[in-house]
Amino acid sequence: MGKAQLIRALQIAAGILVVVLVVGLYKAKSDASKAEAHVRQLHQEISETEASNRALNAEIAHLESPAHVQELAQQHLDVTPGGQSAALPESSMASRLPAPRERQSHP
Amino acid sequence: MKPISPSRAFAAEQSFASETIEAAPARNRVRFLAIGLLVMLLLLSARAVQLAFAGDPTAEPRHGAAIAQVERADIVDRNGVLLATTVRAFTLTATPERVWRANETAAALARIFPDMDRDATVRRLSDRSHELVFLRRGLTPNQRDAVLSLGLAGIGFAQEERRVYPQGALAGHALGFTDVDRHALAGVELGLDDQIRRAGAEGRPVRLSIDVRMQYALETELDAAAQAAHASSAAAILLDGRTGETLALASWPALDPNEFAGASEAARTDRVAGDVHELGSTLKPFTEAMALQERLTSSGELFDLSQPFVLDGTTISDDERILGPASLRDILARSSNIGAARLALRVGADRQRSYLARLGLLAPPTLELARSQAPIAPTARTRRDIAGLGFGYGLAATPASLAGAYTIFANNGARVTPSLLMRLPDAQIRRTTVFSPAVTQQVLSYMRSVVTDGTGRAADVPGLQVAGKTGTAEKLGDDTYSQDHNFSSFAGVFPADTPRYVIFLALDDTGAGAAGGAVAAPAVARTLRRIAPMLGLRVEPRLPSH
Repeated sequence: MGKAQLIRALQIAAGILVVVLVVGLYKAKSDASKAEAHVRQLHQEISETEASNRALNAEIAHLESPAHVQELAQQHLDVTPGGQSAALPESSMASRLPAPRERQSHP
Repeated sequence: MKPISPSRAFAAEQSFASETIEAAPARNRVRFLAIGLLVMLLLLSARAVQLAFAGDPTAEPRHGAAIAQVERADIVDRNGVLLATTVRAFTLTATPERVWRANETAAALARIFPDMDRDATVRRLSDRSHELVFLRRGLTPNQRDAVLSLGLAGIGFAQEERRVYPQGALAGHALGFTDVDRHALAGVELGLDDQIRRAGAEGRPVRLSIDVRMQYALETELDAAAQAAHASSAAAILLDGRTGETLALASWPALDPNEFAGASEAARTDRVAGDVHELGSTLKPFTEAMALQERLTSSGELFDLSQPFVLDGTTISDDERILGPASLRDILARSSNIGAARLALRVGADRQRSYLARLGLLAPPTLELARSQAPIAPTARTRRDIAGLGFGYGLAATPASLAGAYTIFANNGARVTPSLLMRLPDAQIRRTTVFSPAVTQQVLSYMRSVVTDGTGRAADVPGLQVAGKTGTAEKLGDDTYSQDHNFSSFAGVFPADTPRYVIFLALDDTGAGAAGGAVAAPAVARTLRRIAPMLGLRVEPRLPSH
């Protein structure tokens, strides 16, 4: 192999190496870019989820608010705050209890 | 003949020429290849540089147009119950170029937003000088869905954030509100604005000292009392007197911070720290304490209060004449103006003002609210002024300031400053000594008599040992005080044997005969009956009425 051919071979090899390196770099950067995009997407999803959570927490707080609970208690249990139903002396408990069932007599 | 052989130089020249002819195509190929490689390398390098320094533009998440990005922390009560938060909202936008029929579009939108100005909307939808116009802000997801279902051309949405108050009107005045850009405008939103922003950046909530359960009980009872007494406004505050933490505070008329824009000025006004009044007889316990502290009287002294007290041409009298000798206990229990005036005159203007200053009644309240109204407290120049201050005239202060002054009864004579922030168990609490423990205890026992035997009997809650003082301050009209317009109040401390909590409730502009003992004290009793179990205090149940 002549000197010129050797140089040419080396140049071609160097060129291929550079191309491989550049393609490798491109691929690495592209992968990093994709990963970055994925991370951003995840961040956005987290942000969306957090926003949903905040809205749900607000909804829960509204549903558990004393005014709402009182409304439900009045509507379904006939219990009013500060009413006699809320605090009873022990002696009056019996009068509030349902009447005992009559025992069936067995012959 | 042997031909003449070519010279060496000729031979070399000839050889070179033949090689050049052979190498030319190869060189051209190399050149093309090199140029091609160079172009490719340049393109790749440019892309690599772009990726390295600018990032991948295709990787950008697709957001809507950003409106405002200021983050505010959640506000929670002492138990972590959510009071204020920031949720996602939408701005209704339009691209006039793409709107087909502005009139029909505006009419369709008006069906979802009845308060929307239709003519203005048509003008904006027709304004083609703008690429994008904003029609309405703060839309909820449901409202956005409703608009989307209309399928209107040229109508779109931009994402933004919105401050909401899930408890509605509960603690509305204390929380305050923000505008659509989440700039604080009132309440703790403004009073604690920096702290809320800092906490938001750190991802933690701002914890207030109030308790929504007690807040609700206080607000509903205040509402009922104010309506029953036909008051023009009302205020109430409940403090942990040991720490100064505000457990509940209420102003009436109520305010829903979610709809503050439509609220009247009266509803927007915070009455606890933003409104001053002459406080009336609720100052009498301090007058007695001043006299006792300065040894100008004693528990054994008896006063003749049977005759009106004429002072510099002004007659001071009691609503209910006290016949026979009266003690300090009687002066408080029966709310004697004559007795309080005499004691105040013994104390004198300078000492009186000094005590009032140490009680915090000459400075604005310390609650972390947007508006803290300074008291109106002119220096007492005449004997009449000094006497008037003795029973609560000539000094206008806020309910928050008075409640702060009453913390002396929970701290053996030392005052703590009220706060709306929850304090840590090991937090240092600054106390200002005003009276000695013995004097404080003595006056507290008199205040207990007010509730057991005096003008404040309606505030009694069996089992709870409430101590307190009623107040009925006539309101100043154009020139004179009117008996038909009163500031009726009750200031209390409980439980009297181990005083810890302070409550103050006041109804403004109540009519003739609506004394503090008749309209404010019962409301306090009803409130305490509801909140005592929340504080771990036992009350005796009421017998059912038959």
